[in-house]
Amino acid sequence: MPAPQDPLYAGLGQAVRIGTELLAALIVGGGLGWAIDTYLFGTIPWGLVIGLVFGLAAGMRSAYRSVQRWQSPPTDVDKQG
Amino acid sequence: MEESPLHQFELHPWVPMSIGGVDISINKAVVFMWVVIAVASVCMVMAGSSRKLVPGKLQSLAEMMVEFIRNMILETMGKDGMRFFPLVATLFVFILFSNYIGLIPGTYTVTSQIIVTAAFSFLVYGISLAVGFLLHGVKFLGILIPPGTPGWLVPLMIPIEIISQIARPISLAVRLFANMTAGHVMLAVLFGLTVGGGVLIGWLPFVFTVAIYGLEFGIAFIQAYIFTILTCVYLGDAFHLHGHEEHAH
Repeated sequence: MPAPQDPLYAGLGQAVRIGTELLAALIVGGGLGWAIDTYLFGTIPWGLVIGLVFGLAAGMRSAYRSVQRWQSPPTDVDKQG
Repeated sequence: MEESPLHQFELHPWVPMSIGGVDISINKAVVFMWVVIAVASVCMVMAGSSRKLVPGKLQSLAEMMVEFIRNMILETMGKDGMRFFPLVATLFVFILFSNYIGLIPGTYTVTSQIIVTAAFSFLVYGISLAVGFLLHGVKFLGILIPPGTPGWLVPLMIPIEIISQIARPISLAVRLFANMTAGHVMLAVLFGLTVGGGVLIGWLPFVFTVAIYGLEFGIAFIQAYIFTILTCVYLGDAFHLHGHEEHAH
């Protein structure tokens, strides 16, 4: 079994992660917007549109965050220990 | 003449049971969950029983696995994170064994049921929320405002962060489920083509079946690894609450 620091697995892990993170955030954002439209205010399609935009932003944000974590060297985690 | 490539995921109750209207029938997935638990337990107990200074094959494999999980936790959560070791290790071993057992022809891949992966991911996310609120109280809501956010951005960041928090358990569950399901569908389709193609052309999809099967061996490990490392990341976020960001800059 390779070490978790193995660049192959770290790279593959990142690649697989980011795609689903983007998609999941988009679906959650759109879903929340749609739910607000349908059950709360009856403002279709505005909630859906705004929800999708927020979802996209959230997806970008989590993708950015995981890449950021990837780049930071593991040593600053050790300092906390 | 051919059966659907999705046929392999169908579940039929073997021993129908229900308690108070809730269906708890025993089916293939339940039985294979037991198989996974049994195989994993037997392997780990056998590996741990000898405790030689110079480890045998099984023992050194188990030691590598423990070391691997330990490194994952230390990297994402630091030393304090080791208290989550039992949870993280259990998840990793269960997912790894069910992914690999599912690759043996004729068995069932437990992780190809979204309810299984969703149960794990919501459990993990629930624990991380509980840990966060227990450790930090109401301050834990500060996770919705990343450090360094300018004041005027706060009303915009909060909905974005709420969405990305809700997306966490969903992406965790869907990723594992979709990868395992897609791999098995692909294998079923290619093998169906092999059987349907006959000798003349059937060798071509057969070559691909073998290649994809090899790829699935890697995927089985990578998916178990990703599920576990994200478990660590989410628990670590709740545990440290911006600790990473502050230390990283």
